[in-house]
Amino acid sequence: MSLAAGEIQLSMKTLTSGTMWRYIIVSIAGLLATAVICSLLGSEKVHFSRVWDGVFGQIEEGFNQDYIIYVQFRLPRIFLAGIVGAALACAGTVLQAILRNPLADPYLLGISSGAGLGTMLAVIGGLGATVLGISSITLLSFACALGTVWMVWLLGGRGYKSGMAGLLLAGVVVNAFLSAVIMFLNSIAAASQVQTTIFWLMGNITAIENTSLLWLSAGIVAMGIGVCTRFSVWLNLISFSPEEARLSGVNVRWLYQGCFAVSALITSVAVSLSGLVGFVGLIVPHGVRLLIGPDHRLLIPISALAGAAFVIVADTVARIVVPPAVMPVGVVTALAGGPFFLYLLVRFGKKLHFGD
Amino acid sequence: MAVIEIDNLSFDYKQLPVLSDLTVAVEQGNFWSILGPNGAGKSTLIRLLAGLLTPQKGSIKLHSKRLSLYKIRDLSRQVAMVCQEYVPAFGFTVLETISMARIGREGFVLFENENDKAIIRGAMEQTQITHLAQRKLNELSGGERQRVFIARALAQDTPILLLDEPTNHLDIKHQVYVFDLLKSLQKDQNKTVLAVTHDINLSCQYCDRVLLLGGAGRYEVGKPSEVIDIDRLKEYFGVEGHRGLIGKTPFFVPAGRFSGESDSGQ
Repeated sequence: MSLAAGEIQLSMKTLTSGTMWRYIIVSIAGLLATAVICSLLGSEKVHFSRVWDGVFGQIEEGFNQDYIIYVQFRLPRIFLAGIVGAALACAGTVLQAILRNPLADPYLLGISSGAGLGTMLAVIGGLGATVLGISSITLLSFACALGTVWMVWLLGGRGYKSGMAGLLLAGVVVNAFLSAVIMFLNSIAAASQVQTTIFWLMGNITAIENTSLLWLSAGIVAMGIGVCTRFSVWLNLISFSPEEARLSGVNVRWLYQGCFAVSALITSVAVSLSGLVGFVGLIVPHGVRLLIGPDHRLLIPISALAGAAFVIVADTVARIVVPPAVMPVGVVTALAGGPFFLYLLVRFGKKLHFGD
Repeated sequence: MAVIEIDNLSFDYKQLPVLSDLTVAVEQGNFWSILGPNGAGKSTLIRLLAGLLTPQKGSIKLHSKRLSLYKIRDLSRQVAMVCQEYVPAFGFTVLETISMARIGREGFVLFENENDKAIIRGAMEQTQITHLAQRKLNELSGGERQRVFIARALAQDTPILLLDEPTNHLDIKHQVYVFDLLKSLQKDQNKTVLAVTHDINLSCQYCDRVLLLGGAGRYEVGKPSEVIDIDRLKEYFGVEGHRGLIGKTPFFVPAGRFSGESDSGQ
């Protein structure tokens, strides 16, 4: 009898802030461990004692190669990979919830092709200039990504009542159209320029020397993840139905606009830094959901952290697998993500929700 | 005092009139059933009352204030609704589903407090689903799932409860169970309950008032014994039948062309 009562007591457990923080702290620890391990791997062997000397400013004869490789190349690159992964995974989780479609990913809404067009224009236009220390490629791809998303929202956004099917369609069509424009520009571009854009389209993380840009991006992405976590209880309701959410007191229209704006912003940041790193926004949320369940209060922060770790690992693989050549990180994520995507399609294909 | 006042309400879907000039007042603490043939506007009415639809003409007032003037969140503290069935995209548990009802309450950020938990527990005990707490929604039977969504509406802790065909797909035992539950909510907690249903007989036995909708502006409202009448049911549903009384409560058995020709009759 007392055992039965105890079971019921146990089964009434709901998510508490303590549990949530435990999950987050463990995930952060995992992410840091991943980052440290990955920072030790590379085509050049780095001696840690010499990096240490460099950190504490002990000047030696000549220059400290280990220190430069580690601090000026590897760490910023890992940091950047982390930002990109966190942004894409967070945006993917949010879009899967508001579109109520398990196959949604952050590029669905035209962001990718918009940013691609911006990059293409910058490369072909030969814009080498920097504004406030930020390269024009980054700026133009960011601007075009946001512009395209805004256009998709205007074209398809009225459909928020019909389960956002209009938005999906507008995104797909705009993506297809702009991809054609990109391919057209590609075919009239010089060979050297094509190399840059191909790498960009495959998703490419390189060390960025501009640390203030890194910190700015990290700040925007972290804020976006924070806002989405605040939205998470409402996203739980939305995944039942928009009406259900409204009946429970959620202003669905504002929630859609807020989620859309935030995920567009952080995805644009990621895309303008790294190009199109595919599949992260699709597979990481699903993987995390399989592990910890569908509650977005956990799903959003944990997906973001897991996404960061995933891209850091993928980028490390891209760095070390074919030295001294570099492979775009998007190749690694797609090679790992493609089969997983097909698995999802087979497993969840029957449950696809388009509109109602 | 009337808690819901419907005044000259009209609603049409693309020029096709569903409700027209409906004027009804619902008293606090009453149990109403909304009856009528398919397409008569029963679900439309309940969705209008829940604020999911906006009337094209006329008004709905809640506590003498127009429904359209309520903020979404404030309305969710007054009115809870059990919709017809649906399956969520990702597999939440029963407890998680019911807990979501607390999201609209004053000061909710991310987590349920002790008071929320007490309300959630109470709602689960009332609907007898405490043992299902950790089960996934898609693993439940139709009756169990219906009770989960009723529990969720209860956990919203509102004075008004709307239900759209709560006994759909349920066996007789669960149909009676749901009406017993709704009646006890009315008696014990003085809730105002409005349920769309096709069950004339359960409505007659449990409800204080029946609203019979006939489409095209026809409606009848009153005590079950006044509204449930052979000629009127024939007019509204186009079905003949037999009316009888159990005590003072009427019941209705429909009769079609071949009624009485089952094997047992020979």
